[in-house]
Amino acid sequence: MQQVANYMYYAGGGGLILIGLYMVMAKTNLVKIILGLSFLDTGTHVLLVAIGYVRGRTAPIFSEGMAETTPVVDPVPQAMVLTAIVIGVGVLGLALALAIQVYRHYGTLDVRNIRGLKW
Amino acid sequence: MVSPSLLVAIPLASAFAAPLVGLGSKKLAKCIPPLALAANLVIGLLLLPRVLEKAIVVSIGGFPPPFCINLMVGPLGLSLAILISLVGLLISIYATGYIKTEPTEKYHALFLLLATGALGIVLTGDIFNLFVFFEILCVASYGLTAYEKDRAGTEAAMKYLIQGTVGSTFILVAIGFLYGLFGTLNMADIATKVPSAEPLHLFLILAFFVVGFGVEAAIFPLNAWLPDAHSSAPSSVSAILSAIAIKTGVYAIARITYTLMNAQGFLIFISLIGIITLVVGEIAAYRQKDDIKRMLAYSSIGQIGLIVFAIGIGTSLGVFGALFQLVNHALAKCLLFLAAGYMIYRAGSKKLSDMQGLARRMPLTAVAFTVAAFSLVGLPPFAGFMSKLSIVSAALKTGRSAYVAFAAIALAATVVEGGYFFRVVQGLYFRGGSKGESVGPTKAKEAPAAALIPILVLAALVIAIGVYPQLVTNVLDHAAKELLDRGAYITNVLEAL
Amino acid sequence: MAMETSFALILPVAFLAGKVSPALRNVVAVLAAAVSVLLVAVLYGQNLKLDYYALPFLGVELAMRTDALAWFFAIAVAAIGLLSIVFSLRYMQGRERLDFYYFAMLVVNAAMLGIVFSADLLSLFVFWEVMSWSTYLLISYRGGKAVAAGLKYMVMSIAGSCAMLLAIASLYATCGTLDLHGVAQGIAKASPGYSLFILLMFVLGFGIKNAIVPLHVWLPDAHSEAVSPFSAVLSSVLVRMGVYGLMLVMYGVLGEAGLARLKLGPVTFRHVLCWVAGVTILVPLLIAMLQDDAKRVVAWSSVGHGGYMLLGIAFGTALGVAGGLFHTLNYAVCVALLFLAVGAVEHRTGTRDLNELGGLMKRMPVTFVTALIAVCGLIGVPLTNGFVSKWFIYKTLITEGYPFLALVALIGTWATVLYGYKLIHNAFLGQLPSGYREVREVPFSMQLPMILLSLAVILFGVLPGIAVRAIGSAQASLGLKALESGLWALPPAVGELNTINILSGVIASLALVYVAFALATKARRVDQSDSYGAGSYVPMDRYQYSVNFYQRAHELIGPYVRDRVDEFYRWLVGKAEGFFEQARKMYSGNVNTYAAYIVIFLALLIILKLGGQI
Repeated sequence: MQQVANYMYYAGGGGLILIGLYMVMAKTNLVKIILGLSFLDTGTHVLLVAIGYVRGRTAPIFSEGMAETTPVVDPVPQAMVLTAIVIGVGVLGLALALAIQVYRHYGTLDVRNIRGLKW
Repeated sequence: MVSPSLLVAIPLASAFAAPLVGLGSKKLAKCIPPLALAANLVIGLLLLPRVLEKAIVVSIGGFPPPFCINLMVGPLGLSLAILISLVGLLISIYATGYIKTEPTEKYHALFLLLATGALGIVLTGDIFNLFVFFEILCVASYGLTAYEKDRAGTEAAMKYLIQGTVGSTFILVAIGFLYGLFGTLNMADIATKVPSAEPLHLFLILAFFVVGFGVEAAIFPLNAWLPDAHSSAPSSVSAILSAIAIKTGVYAIARITYTLMNAQGFLIFISLIGIITLVVGEIAAYRQKDDIKRMLAYSSIGQIGLIVFAIGIGTSLGVFGALFQLVNHALAKCLLFLAAGYMIYRAGSKKLSDMQGLARRMPLTAVAFTVAAFSLVGLPPFAGFMSKLSIVSAALKTGRSAYVAFAAIALAATVVEGGYFFRVVQGLYFRGGSKGESVGPTKAKEAPAAALIPILVLAALVIAIGVYPQLVTNVLDHAAKELLDRGAYITNVLEAL
Repeated sequence: MAMETSFALILPVAFLAGKVSPALRNVVAVLAAAVSVLLVAVLYGQNLKLDYYALPFLGVELAMRTDALAWFFAIAVAAIGLLSIVFSLRYMQGRERLDFYYFAMLVVNAAMLGIVFSADLLSLFVFWEVMSWSTYLLISYRGGKAVAAGLKYMVMSIAGSCAMLLAIASLYATCGTLDLHGVAQGIAKASPGYSLFILLMFVLGFGIKNAIVPLHVWLPDAHSEAVSPFSAVLSSVLVRMGVYGLMLVMYGVLGEAGLARLKLGPVTFRHVLCWVAGVTILVPLLIAMLQDDAKRVVAWSSVGHGGYMLLGIAFGTALGVAGGLFHTLNYAVCVALLFLAVGAVEHRTGTRDLNELGGLMKRMPVTFVTALIAVCGLIGVPLTNGFVSKWFIYKTLITEGYPFLALVALIGTWATVLYGYKLIHNAFLGQLPSGYREVREVPFSMQLPMILLSLAVILFGVLPGIAVRAIGSAQASLGLKALESGLWALPPAVGELNTINILSGVIASLALVYVAFALATKARRVDQSDSYGAGSYVPMDRYQYSVNFYQRAHELIGPYVRDRVDEFYRWLVGKAEGFFEQARKMYSGNVNTYAAYIVIFLALLIILKLGGQI
C-alpha cells in the first residue's frame, strides 16, 4: 500500500503521457490529436509536481500566520509547471487555430486525407 | 561595459515594440527588426575579444550561482549569437521587401521572437531556461510557417506543431528527471553532480533529451516535419529556420552530451545517427525535381547529419569542424533560400523545369546561387571545402575504423549531393533555349535591391571565408575547446560572483 | 621567380573586369595567356619552393615548387592554353556569354598551372577541384547535349575527388604533414596494405581524369560536346593532369621501392596497371574506328592513347617512362591540332558528321595539311614526334619480354591508322558535296595555332633530343633512371637513326618531284562531274562515297566492340535512382506515422541500452 502511495503520482503522470502518445499516434481526427497533445502536457505537469512532492509537507505559499520555517514541498517544480502550463496554453491555442485553417483548406479533419505534402 | 543580457533583451523588446510602432507607421515597423539585430551584431562583436579570454557570466536578479538563472557567454555561445544576429539581420533586410501579406507587423514580431529564442538558447546557463527559450523559438516558428495561411503552409505548420510538441514533452520529462536526481537546474551545478549518479538513469535522461531536441535538430527519423515546413514557409522564414533554428537543436544536444553528461560512450552513436541522417537526406534530395525548396530542405537534413556526425567525433578538431560546417551551412543555406525565393517569384513556379535559363534575366541571383551550391558540395575556393576537409581529417585522425567508414560514406553522399546541385546550376545557366527565343519566365527580371544586398553580402562572405578561413577559425577553435572543457565551464560559472 | 608564377594565378580574377568591351577582353585574355607562357619559360631548369599560405587550424603550410617534372607539364599547359585562346578569338565570335568563356578558360589554365606547381597535397587538391568545376562549367557552356555530358563529367570527377580527399586526409592523419617529401617518408614506414589503399584511391581519382577503362565513360561525350578550342585544351592537357598525378604519386610519393612492395605473389601492382593500360589501348581505339562524328573519333582516340601513356609510365624502365612522358607531350600536340582542325571544318561547314563531309582539301588547304600532319603524328610515321615516343614504348616492351603487351600496342597503332585515315578521307579527300563548294579557308588567327602545332609535330620528330633532355631531368628529379640523349638525334638506347639526314633526303626528293612536275606539260583540269554517263545524267550528290566508310568493319566487330562500361554505369544509376525513390517514400505525409517514428526511436534507444545491460 505504501509502495502504491509512493508511486501513485508518477504512475498517473506517466499514464497520462502514454495516453497522450497513443492519441497522437493512433487517432486520425485532428482535434483528437490536439487533445492528445493536451494530455501529454498535463501528464508532464503532473509528473513534475510529483517529483517535487515531499511527504508530510504543505504548499509553498506563505499565507497569514505561517511561520517561515514551516516545512513546504519543493517550490521549484511548481514554478516550472506554471511556466509549462503557460507554454502549453499558447501552443494549444495555436494548434486549434491551425486546425480551423486546415479545415478551411481541406474540408476535412481526417489526418489520412491531409497529405498534400509528402515524399 | 555592455552587458550580454542586452543580446537577449533587445530582440525581445523590439518584438513587442514592432506591433506598437506599426499602429503608427507601417514603414517604421519594417525597420525595427534590422535595427535590433544590427545592434545585437555590434554588441556581440564588441564583446568578442573579452569573451575569448574569459567567459562572461551574468546572473539574472543578482542571486549567486547556482541558485540563479544565469547567462553563460563563452566563445561558443557568443560566436553562435553573432552568427544568429548576422543571419537574422540579412534576412530581415530581405524580408522588408519580400513579405507582403498583411499585417506585416505580426511577421516582424514573430521573427524577432524567433531570434530571441535562438539567442537565449545559445547564451543561457540554466536547463529550464533553455527549455523556455526553446519553446519561444518553436512557437514562433510554427506561427511563421503558417504565416501565409495557404494550404501547404497551414498543413506544414500543423504537422510541425504536433511533432514539435511531442519532442518538447520529452524534453520536459527529461528536465523533470534531472531535477529529481540532482535538485538543481543550473547546468554547471548539474555537471558537477553528474559523476555521482547511476549511469542507467543518466542514459535515460540523455535519451529523452536527444529525442526531444532531435526533433528540432532534424535528425533521422525525427525530421519528417522539416521538408514540409521549410518548403511551404515563405522563403525568408525557410532561410531563418534552416540556417538558425535547427542549429539550436544541434547546439542543445552537443551542450548536454559534452558539458552536462560527459557521455563519451554515446558519441559514436551520435555519429551513426548523423551519418544515417546525411545519407537519407541526400538521397531524398536527389529525387526532388518538382520543388526546389523541398530539395533545399532535404539538403538541410543532409548537412545537419554531417554536422551531427562531426560533433560525435569527440576531438577538438572534430568539434571545430562541426562548428565550422555549421557556420558555412548557415551562410550558404540562407543564401540558397533567399535566392530561391525570388527565383520562384519571378519564374512563377517551384518546378526546376520552369527555372531553366533563368540566369539570363537574373544574373546576380544565379551567380550567388551557384556560389552557395558549390560551397555546400565542398568545392574550393569556397567556404564549404575547408569545413569538409576539417571533418574528414578529424574523422580519419581518430584512427578508429568506424569513423573511417563513416567518413567514406559521408564522401559518397557528397557525390549524390553534387549530382542534384549541379543539375540545378546547369538548368539555370545552360538550358532553356538560345538568346533569341524567349522561353520560360518572360517577365523575370533581377531581384530588387532589398533582396540583392543580403544575397550579395552572403555570397561575398562565403567566398571570403573560403579564401581566408582565418576570419573565423580562431574564434571557432576557442569555441570547440570550450565545448570539450567541462572543468573550465564549471569553474567559470560557479566562481563567477 | 616563383612569385611570378603565383602572379599568373591572379590574372583570371582581374580579367572579369574585361566586361567593359569585347576587344579589350580579347586582348586581356591573349596577354594573360602569353604572360603565363613567358613566366613558365623563364623558370626552366630552376628548383624553387615558395610557401604561400598557412592554415593554422590544420597545421599545414601550402607551398608551390618548380622542378623538372613540373616544368615539363607546365610549359605544355601554358603553350596549348595560349594557342587555343588565340584560336577562339575568331571561332567563338558571335556566341553569347563570351566574357564567361574567356574567364573560365583562364581559370582552367591557372588551375592546371597550380596543380603542376604545387608542393603539397592540399594545394594539389584545391587546384584540382577548381579545375574540375571550371571545366564542368565550360563543357556545359554549349547547351543542348553538352549539358548532360557536363553533368556526367562532374559527377564522376567529384567521385574521384572524394576518393582523393579520403586518401589525402588519411595521409595527413598518418604522417602529420601534407608536404610531398614528408608524405613520402611517412608512407615508407607504413604497411604495404596501407600503401595499396592510398595508391588505389589516387589511381581512382587520377584515373577518372585520365580516362582509364573502366573510368572513361565521361570522356567521349564531354570532348565531343564541348566547344572545339576547349576540347583541344581538355584532351591535350587537362586529362594529362591525371598522368602528372600518377607520376607524382607512384614515383614521387611511393617511389620505386614502395611500388615494388605491392604485390600478390608474382603479380605486382605495376603488372595490373600495365594490363589495364593495355585494355585501354585496345578497345577504345577500335571503337574510334566505328564513329561517325569527327569529334567522337578524336575523343575515343584520346582515351586510347591515354592507355599508351599509362603503359609507358607503369612499365617503369627508363625507356618506358620516358616514352610515356614523351607520348604525353606528343599526343597533346597532335590531338590539340586535330581538335582545332575539326573545329575549323565545323566552323566553315557547320557539321561534324563524317558521312556528310568530303573533298575539302581544295577549299581548306592549310587545314588539310595540318590535319594530315597531326594524323601522321598520331599514327607514328617516322619524322613525326609520335614515331619517337611510340618507338620508345615498343622497344622497351619487346626488349623486356612482354610480347602480348607489345602486340596490344601494335594493334592500337593499326586501329589508329584506320581511324586516322577515315578522318582525313571523309573530311578532306574524295568528292566535295555541292553544298560546300563555296567554303573558304579559316581566318589567319585560326590558322596560326594549327600551323605552329604542326611545326611542333615535325620538330619533335626530327630533333627529339630537345624534349627528351627535359624528360630526362624530370625522371632524375623523381629518382628514376634518366634516359640519356644528345640534343639532336634519338637516344643511343633506342638505336642509331640520323633523322637530320632522313629529313634532308625527304626534302631533297620532294624538291626533285616538284621540279619535275613544274617542267612537265600542264595537266588538263577536269571537273568531277565531267564524265561519261552514256547519255544519262550523272547525279552529283547521290554517290557520296564517304558514307558508311567502314561498313564491313562495322559488321565484323561492331557487335563486340561496344562501350559496355557505359551501359553498366547507366544500369547502375537507374537502379540507384529506383532505390532513392523507394527511400523517400518514408516521408509518407501522415502525421500519425511521423509521431510514431519519434516514439519508436526513443523506445529503441531505451531498449537497446537495457538490452546491453542484461
